[in-house]
Amino acid sequence: MANTLISDAPVIISMRGVTKTYPGVVALADADFDVRRGEIHGLVGKNGAGKSTLMGVLMGIRQPDAGVVTVDGSEIKHLTPQLMGNLGVAYVPQHVKMLNTLTVAENVLAGNLPKNGLGIVDWRAVYQDSQDRLGKLGLNIDVRKTVEGLSLAEQTMLAIAKALFSNARMIILDEPTAVLPRKDKNLLFGFVRSLKAQDVAFVYISHHLEEIFEICDRVTIMRDGRIIETRAVAEITVPELIRGMVGETVGEFQRDPSLTNEEVLRVDTLSRRGSYEEVSFSVRRGEVVGLCGLQGSGVGELAKALFGLERRGVGEVYIDGKPLTAETPREALDQGVAYLPDDRHKLGMVGLRPLRENVTYSVLERMTRGLGIVSRGTERPLVQGYIDKLGIVTPGQEQKANLLSGGNQQKVVFARLAATQPKVLMLHEPTQGVDVRAKVDIFNIVTDLSKQGVGIVIVSSEVRELVGLCDRILVMYQGKIIAEFTRANADMKPEDILLAIEGGAYAPAN
Amino acid sequence: MRQQIDWVGFVLNNFIWFVLLATLILFAIAIPDYFTFSNVVNILITASVLGVLVIGQSLVLIARKLDLSAEGTLSLVTVLAAYIMLPFRDFTAGQAGGNGWELNPVIVVPIILALGAFIGFINGVLIMQFKMNFFIVTLAMQLVLRGAALVISEGAIMPGTPDAFNWLGSGRLLDIIPVSVVTTLAMYLVFSYLMSSSRFGREVYAVGANEEAARAAGFNPTRTVIIVYTLSGLLAAFAGWMLLGRLTSSVPNLGAGYTLNVVAAAVIGGVSLKGGEGSIIGAFAGVLLLAMINNALNLMDVNPFWVNAVRGVIILIALIIDALKTRYKRRAPLVRPSASAPPLEPKRT
Repeated sequence: MANTLISDAPVIISMRGVTKTYPGVVALADADFDVRRGEIHGLVGKNGAGKSTLMGVLMGIRQPDAGVVTVDGSEIKHLTPQLMGNLGVAYVPQHVKMLNTLTVAENVLAGNLPKNGLGIVDWRAVYQDSQDRLGKLGLNIDVRKTVEGLSLAEQTMLAIAKALFSNARMIILDEPTAVLPRKDKNLLFGFVRSLKAQDVAFVYISHHLEEIFEICDRVTIMRDGRIIETRAVAEITVPELIRGMVGETVGEFQRDPSLTNEEVLRVDTLSRRGSYEEVSFSVRRGEVVGLCGLQGSGVGELAKALFGLERRGVGEVYIDGKPLTAETPREALDQGVAYLPDDRHKLGMVGLRPLRENVTYSVLERMTRGLGIVSRGTERPLVQGYIDKLGIVTPGQEQKANLLSGGNQQKVVFARLAATQPKVLMLHEPTQGVDVRAKVDIFNIVTDLSKQGVGIVIVSSEVRELVGLCDRILVMYQGKIIAEFTRANADMKPEDILLAIEGGAYAPAN
Repeated sequence: MRQQIDWVGFVLNNFIWFVLLATLILFAIAIPDYFTFSNVVNILITASVLGVLVIGQSLVLIARKLDLSAEGTLSLVTVLAAYIMLPFRDFTAGQAGGNGWELNPVIVVPIILALGAFIGFINGVLIMQFKMNFFIVTLAMQLVLRGAALVISEGAIMPGTPDAFNWLGSGRLLDIIPVSVVTTLAMYLVFSYLMSSSRFGREVYAVGANEEAARAAGFNPTRTVIIVYTLSGLLAAFAGWMLLGRLTSSVPNLGAGYTLNVVAAAVIGGVSLKGGEGSIIGAFAGVLLLAMINNALNLMDVNPFWVNAVRGVIILIALIIDALKTRYKRRAPLVRPSASAPPLEPKRT
């Protein structure tokens, strides 16, 4: 069996006890990881599980705080990108960076074009050389084409080839298939397998679990900065893989349900080309609905569109039975829709400004006296009320928002949204970049708001958290809602939900 | 919980006032006749026109934009005001009169203020509605305005503006206190209050610091920036009125090179070129410092060719302080949310 053969192959790179911390976060804890010659080693884990940090150490761009990295059995003391590159580590990102407007041949021979006696580039030799070199790797690409004229799969393969020309032995592929059509995927996989046969090793990062089974020999599962386990793919099942990624049991937090029968949000066959298709669902007052899906499934786009940050497309949306007409965030807020963005630094708050201003930005007209002057007498108590109620830890109202911790920043955004007294509140990755204690506080805020009758939609990839919080969870895949799990039916199991998120193939019939 | 006093931050944030005080003491000791009533008034008078322009530019800078056209607006409105206000006179010896309308200053002033505001409005619309680059738009606008000023004046000096018009620039209250100084101080108070306490001020800071977040919070950055440019144009026209009133003659190239001084004063006063930071009062300190230094260089009979070099050095020092401030703030305790997943940036392919 192929796997037994692989397990005998010599280890190229190995890491033992590697730890990397950032202020307030342990990004990588005591990680053991190794790659053997000629193996395809899958690496899976949710966003923030530590995959990027692990690979960063391998590439020499992150300096570990502790631990040992060895290459071919000898310890490497000072990791630098140059050194790791010379030792044969290469990285191929999802979006390949090359000289896009130049030809394939020029990219292959970049910096080393054959010249004739007069120092003029000998183009015949350029095309011949590059064709030969790619041919040796079994890659058939028209070398006269420009790189931007290639398909994405061809670009990725060209990047792999280029890495090999600079003597790479271990290539990190970071979600290479996320944007590829199926037939291109096969092309890429074929190329990767043929290189594997020539003893090139790969680390294969992907969110699409079925690909791990299709192409990898071993798989390493990461969660919360730790390596959970490394197993031979032949000996592991999809549910096991998911359990490793998600953690053992269902989240500890359980929200008291507060749902009513009054519908507050109804989305009726809403479609936007390329993002989502005929999406219909409704949310009741006091209900918390989870919305899950991979990147590109349309969940994030849908939330932004409902808030007027992006085009909504065709179809109807009703808030309290009235059609939603908002084209801008201001109009959406006025019509009772609020949105907590996934990227609070970019969209959620104005970091340079004080906490006080950040809380009242969306309700300023309510506290403006004549001549447009903001009444501090109205503003201060309101802000203090939220600081107390949400437990925002801050030296005072004048603290600049970007000097607060992640959890407190998120609470400030919550305070701003709560102040608008929304009917529908959409939360986009509300616990991202937030420590465990603040997470529990945020769950409590969500519970409180739902008790006050707000209809809440949570777009999140933290399935475990959603299971504890939500009355219902909807799963989107390629723009469509493909599965629904409800607390009432007691079918909200993280493993099943994750299977559905991964794609139609594993979704339970519905 | 009491906030720990951040002395370094405090000094960096109010650095300009320390510098201002130190400079004043130094000049007062070193230069005879520096710290006299008439010289201080002199400094304030020269600071006035600059000061009004700096208010407008500061608003624009806080909104994370730049207005290179303000000096063009100033130039055009002074020429236009003289042209429609002065009696007709044939072009002789580089001087000329108006077009013969001889409009009353009471009509002329609203016309030029409206023109300034309109120019600013056009800037704002081009930048926000048409998504054009603010640098190019206002640079081109400056050329247009200067060109128009030359066309109208035909390159001539138009002397002898009426007293009623000159009151703002040359008049003195109780025969002592210059009207221009009082007006400028009042404008600083008004705009300072506006920026710190009004909804509009909040919007300008929010839009300048993070336009996307401001929009998501329910503001309308397009409207805010257009208003900011409109105000900048209006204030430039106002400064033109003040300057023409002081000189009593329109000179076609008036205000050439002001932009650099104006931006320098604002930046020296702590207004960040990166938007969202700085105060109107701080900018005022920057204006005072520049005016004081110019005056001292004059009194000391410094070779005028050196004056610009000295100015350049001062501007560079201000920018260094700005950069140091940014760097110091970055060292403040910041928990980055992405720390658990730093972006991958491969250094090689």
